[in-house]
Amino acid sequence: MEKSIEKIWSEGFLANDALIVPKINNLYEQKSIHIIDKFTRMFKINLISIVIFSFVLLVITYIVDAFITGLIVFITLSILVIINKKLLNGLKAIDNSMSSYHYLKSFNQWMKTQIETNKKIASFLYPIVFIAILLGAWFKDANGELLGERLVKEVLYGFPDTYLVFGIPLIGISVALFIIAILAIFGGKIYEFDLKIVYGRVLNKLDTLLSDLEYLNN
Amino acid sequence: MSNDFYKIHILPFSGIIIKLCRAYTNSQEDFEDYYQEVCLQIWRSKPNFREESEWSTWVYRISLNVCLTLLKKRKNNKQHFVSDSIASEETEDSYAFSDESLNLLYIAIRQLPEIDRAVIMLYLEEKSYQDIANVIGTNPNNIGVRVSRIKTKLKTLLDGKIN
Repeated sequence: MEKSIEKIWSEGFLANDALIVPKINNLYEQKSIHIIDKFTRMFKINLISIVIFSFVLLVITYIVDAFITGLIVFITLSILVIINKKLLNGLKAIDNSMSSYHYLKSFNQWMKTQIETNKKIASFLYPIVFIAILLGAWFKDANGELLGERLVKEVLYGFPDTYLVFGIPLIGISVALFIIAILAIFGGKIYEFDLKIVYGRVLNKLDTLLSDLEYLNN
Repeated sequence: MSNDFYKIHILPFSGIIIKLCRAYTNSQEDFEDYYQEVCLQIWRSKPNFREESEWSTWVYRISLNVCLTLLKKRKNNKQHFVSDSIASEETEDSYAFSDESLNLLYIAIRQLPEIDRAVIMLYLEEKSYQDIANVIGTNPNNIGVRVSRIKTKLKTLLDGKIN
């Protein structure tokens, strides 16, 4: 190679076709394909869907006489929405005119915070929903009697020596606690796994870019 | 976007946007998408411009940040950073420059890691090491060393291809 890259660069761009500006139409109306805008859209859609779902569930559970289930799920999902709305504000605040290092670091930090937060939420959310369903079933009216108490009576009728704790069969409490523990352990993992499938490559790429910039910094 | 904004604030700097977007894309379609997205993000970010730096530097920062983090769907519908692992063989013929040397240089640049592409583009645009460090957000002392390493790598990639 005889020509220097500086010379190739400066001479190459003297050609008429080297810097042809692409035609752009209705730019303002175009849907952004940028990762932060995509996340913002995804977050908004998710939050609106959760709000609609929790209201619909509240009405349905009222109709089917399991209002306590709907109410607990509604409160839990409302907290989830509030927390994620705050996360969304943090995402919107990332300024893309910062230096690349600070920009990528801010975005990476946001991603990690939102993953950690939602992972923690997921490990509470699934058990709470399960408990809400149990409570809804327990307090459901069954011919003037609570369904839960009626079930206990029937169990005692069939198995009179069943050990009770606060009026509930110990075996039932044990099974429920086991399911709650499983949901708490795997709730967060399911969220993390799901996110890694969709955004794993993006997260790895961010880590690579940041490592390279940090190496350059040191 | 108002037409005036585009004409006044973007079009005079379209050269740097085009050069940068070309380094992170390997097809005309991707290039147009990148260019469009960069223009959109510049327009959206305009209220954040505090005149602490030159407008051209600011445009460079946004263009680079957008190119580094742009998501597009590939044919297999999985989301990727498109700039990742672009192979020179993938470049479309219609996307090539008429200047063969420049074309080969771009193909070589696209084989560099993303940050190195940014460093060499800024260097070729005759930005000082301090300016390069400001745009990228790194220590200016290391930029010179990195530039020489990149130039050596580019020379190796171009060896025997350009007379």
